[in-house]
Amino acid sequence: MNKRTAYLFIFPSVFLTLVLGVYPLLWALRYMFYNYQGYGDPIFVGFGNFARLLRDAEFWQSVVNTGIYAAGKLIVTIPLSLILAFILNRKLRGRTVLRAIYYLPTVFSASVMSIVFFIIFNSYNGVLNQFLLKFHIIGAPISWLGPDYAMLTTIMIAIWGAVGNYMLLFLAGLQGIPEDLYEAASLDGASEVRKLWSITIPLLGPVMQMIIMLAITISLKGYESIMVLTEGGPYGKTEVMYLYLFKLLFPVSPEAPVQQQLGYGSAVGFVTAIIVGIVTILYFYLSRKLNKMY
Amino acid sequence: MVIKYTGKTLLWVFLLITAAVTLFPIVIVVSGSFMTNLELTSGAHILPDVWQFSNYVTAWTKANFSRFTWNSLFVSVMTTIGTLLVSSMAAYAVDRAKFPGKGIYTGLMASTLFISIGAVVLRPQFDLMVVLGLQKSLWGVILILISAHAATYFIMIGFLRNIPRELDEAAWIDGCHPASVFWRIILPLLRPALAVAGLGVFQNSWNEYILPLVFTLSNPDLQTLPVGLSNLRYGFGAASESQLMLTGACISILPLLVVYVFANKSFMQVTLGAVKG
Repeated sequence: MNKRTAYLFIFPSVFLTLVLGVYPLLWALRYMFYNYQGYGDPIFVGFGNFARLLRDAEFWQSVVNTGIYAAGKLIVTIPLSLILAFILNRKLRGRTVLRAIYYLPTVFSASVMSIVFFIIFNSYNGVLNQFLLKFHIIGAPISWLGPDYAMLTTIMIAIWGAVGNYMLLFLAGLQGIPEDLYEAASLDGASEVRKLWSITIPLLGPVMQMIIMLAITISLKGYESIMVLTEGGPYGKTEVMYLYLFKLLFPVSPEAPVQQQLGYGSAVGFVTAIIVGIVTILYFYLSRKLNKMY
Repeated sequence: MVIKYTGKTLLWVFLLITAAVTLFPIVIVVSGSFMTNLELTSGAHILPDVWQFSNYVTAWTKANFSRFTWNSLFVSVMTTIGTLLVSSMAAYAVDRAKFPGKGIYTGLMASTLFISIGAVVLRPQFDLMVVLGLQKSLWGVILILISAHAATYFIMIGFLRNIPRELDEAAWIDGCHPASVFWRIILPLLRPALAVAGLGVFQNSWNEYILPLVFTLSNPDLQTLPVGLSNLRYGFGAASESQLMLTGACISILPLLVVYVFANKSFMQVTLGAVKG
């Protein structure tokens, strides 16, 4: 194939990526130095947006909320999916069916399932409260989406949607470990626990490191289901940083009737991406250090 | 012996409880979509007493779900075709030809996978569509979804590497035009990759929420299933009753659920393929 034909073949991909992927990035990099409300002339404010961001208590609260949300999600998701992967990697009757069941939630739209969870977790007449009351597990309805429980509820929903995905990734990692290592260990009389400790965990290490890194970035970026379920409320208790960002740019919900802020929003978007980047890199170096120590 | 059996029982209790918790919301969508509002909001039933098939008629006709379904189908089919075409063409050129800028291109594709400034990009994307006159149709949404084809590209190139070069080189020597080599030889050989990646693209665009939400704010007739459905929360329209929300949810998850029952392995391949790239 000559050069000209090659360029013709990658042209649609390059064009779309530059116009709809790169240009919007540059746009944001420019407007983060402006005060721009979406109409009229943008006013250059230098680092004014960043100064404002440093004092923006609502933004920093959303960063804290993101931390709680991501940590809560990962603390349960990672061990649970790892345990399920360990179990389903062994010969077990019905494991294909179980694997298909656990993976099922990842197939559906987060926003659609959030509508369903909205009906399930509704405090006043939600399906979950009905069942808990019916079996006398609770005496009075729990306000799942109220200020005390909303974060816990969104975390539970995130876990529900994520476990199957990471189970599958861990399973793929486990299947990459050569079977003969286990056979050799069995011949030498190693116990199951010993095999887990001396073969599985060390060999799964690098894969696990990548999977956890992926899980961290995904959990920091997720906001779709929260947006549908609580819109960040009540009282901003479940407002994560990418949701706060969305509301600055598209104040669409009836509960957030504020001015569209494109300049400030661009600055927040930039800082948010930096925060995600820093956390990811930090994790990467820490986990590498831990790996070496091990 | 006793210890072994208790261990096994505990293991199965754990597995089955996890399965039940996983399935509960999905069972509620399907069965709740056939309940009356009263039954759903106070009945504490798993299955409806009387199956209300009329919910589907109401959702389909009065709550605009026929429109939403058509829009979702249109966006997903067009996005899938476009993404597969754009990414397999690019992968073909990058894997089979030498040209300056190849490394830059690969770097560009990889970086679009990692850099994300969230919803900020939607505004300039929307402005561009206004310039092109595409903001009042779903083509804007489709083009933007196609532009995010890096993951599919990496699946394609991974697959192409395993297709022997001799096959297409023989065709070139015979005087076949590169375009027809691509169309007649490469695409048919890529079929398994196209099927898996296509399923993933279809699933993602079918489930996409934020992008069509922003693009159809002032145009309810263009809304897709996730957008139309989430608007029901505010109690607009004829379907603010919870059972109709579940009917709508069921309409939007049903196509994927049916395909999943028959081809769940392919769905899993999508996840693994996308990560491997």
